[in-house]
Amino acid sequence: MILIRKSVFSLFVALFFSIQLHAQIHCGLVELVPNTTVNSLMTFDDFTSYNGGIIINSVAKIRVRVQDKAIIDPLCSWSLVMIIDNNPGAGTPANEWEELLQYGSGAATNPPMSTLEVRIRNACSTSPIDGVFQTFANNGDLIDIIAPLLPVTPAGSCVNNVNGPGDYMGNYDEFNFDVDIRVTPTFAYNPGIYQLNIRFHLEENP
Amino acid sequence: MKKLSYLCGAFLLFGATANAQLIDEKDVTVTMDLQPVLQLDMTTPDQIEFVFDEINEYYAGITKYGATVLRVSSTVSWDLYAVGRSTGTNGPEFWDQQIEYGNNNPNAVPDLPLSLLELRQAQPNNGAAAAAGLFADYSQAFSPATVPSAGNSLYVNGGTNTPPTTNDKYIGGHAGTSGVPGDDFLPGGSYLTQTGVTSDYFYVIDYRILPGLPAIFPNAADADGATFEDIVTVNGAGAYAEPGVYTMYVQYILLEDQ
Repeated sequence: MILIRKSVFSLFVALFFSIQLHAQIHCGLVELVPNTTVNSLMTFDDFTSYNGGIIINSVAKIRVRVQDKAIIDPLCSWSLVMIIDNNPGAGTPANEWEELLQYGSGAATNPPMSTLEVRIRNACSTSPIDGVFQTFANNGDLIDIIAPLLPVTPAGSCVNNVNGPGDYMGNYDEFNFDVDIRVTPTFAYNPGIYQLNIRFHLEENP
Repeated sequence: MKKLSYLCGAFLLFGATANAQLIDEKDVTVTMDLQPVLQLDMTTPDQIEFVFDEINEYYAGITKYGATVLRVSSTVSWDLYAVGRSTGTNGPEFWDQQIEYGNNNPNAVPDLPLSLLELRQAQPNNGAAAAAGLFADYSQAFSPATVPSAGNSLYVNGGTNTPPTTNDKYIGGHAGTSGVPGDDFLPGGSYLTQTGVTSDYFYVIDYRILPGLPAIFPNAADADGATFEDIVTVNGAGAYAEPGVYTMYVQYILLEDQ
């Protein structure tokens, strides 16, 4: 009976430590500041905007903050990716914008996801895709800003793929990412209201 | 005891895997409002006058070349058509007689069909492959004065602006929503971005009125061009157009493909 009691006590102690020990792997804190949703509306109501497109520079700023644990782990590093979501649960075809409302007869096709272009940039050009507009083809497509599982590149080096601990306050040029979006619909698609969601996903490397 | 050890191990394993690496996320939601824009720019005189005061004008008709220029800009697939209309003084499908000249000869008919006006578009309709009528558009040359033809007579539909059917004439596009480019619509675009000497978004329109002698307007025809509706065919032999001043108007309608 004593043995059983000891075992139960050991079990709870082990569980407690397992939670404490494995809440992080290598880093003490990984967060985006702020991490609230940004909503952006683009209205196309003349030929200039249809033909030339609309670009919104710095529609959002992705500010990264990654801290070491109290006992520094040299393997603390992170990745940042963006993932496209068109709400397929609503029946949206995989490669199109989600249709919220349609104007007119709808005899043409809905705009494909590829009409949305996203550009990431920061002063140190830490992302390999820095300054170049990227497009998504299908729901769930993922584009690396700082790819996962790269060797640790420490903050302050101002080179590609900086992914060591640091934050936008100490190393703004490496830990802040400006997001620009551009849409050029041209004349091929059904008029209406459409929506896409870009999810920026920050994660410490395992 | 052994079972308890397994349980302990399982819980430990669970504890280790349930708490993966730290993650944070942020969303940027982009909403796009594509508002439809259909724009028809028209260059034309306020009034186009046809004055028939010479015999040769009755015989050969009067043609007004390039009297109207149509420029299309559209963000959606579109159709463009012309329809003859009047205020209905003499009936919904007839010119309005403003004043009559001379006496009231019983054979002098004041009801002139709106379809006696002929149109010719310089650029053929490249969005009418599915048209089923005799004439898909107004692109054929005006016929010789001695050869009656319904190929250019203006589309009229009971004084309304109802779109033509598959048997009638469009300037651009046609009836139907097949979705097949070139069959029954012209795709969105603008004359502003076109190059070359021709464009599906740019139409020069000529007008002709051919009264003939006697003045029966031999080229007047119904909407599908299958039946003539000149003064004699409608009113009987001996009838002719009553001299006077008549007015009507042509309505150009640009609409989303339908």
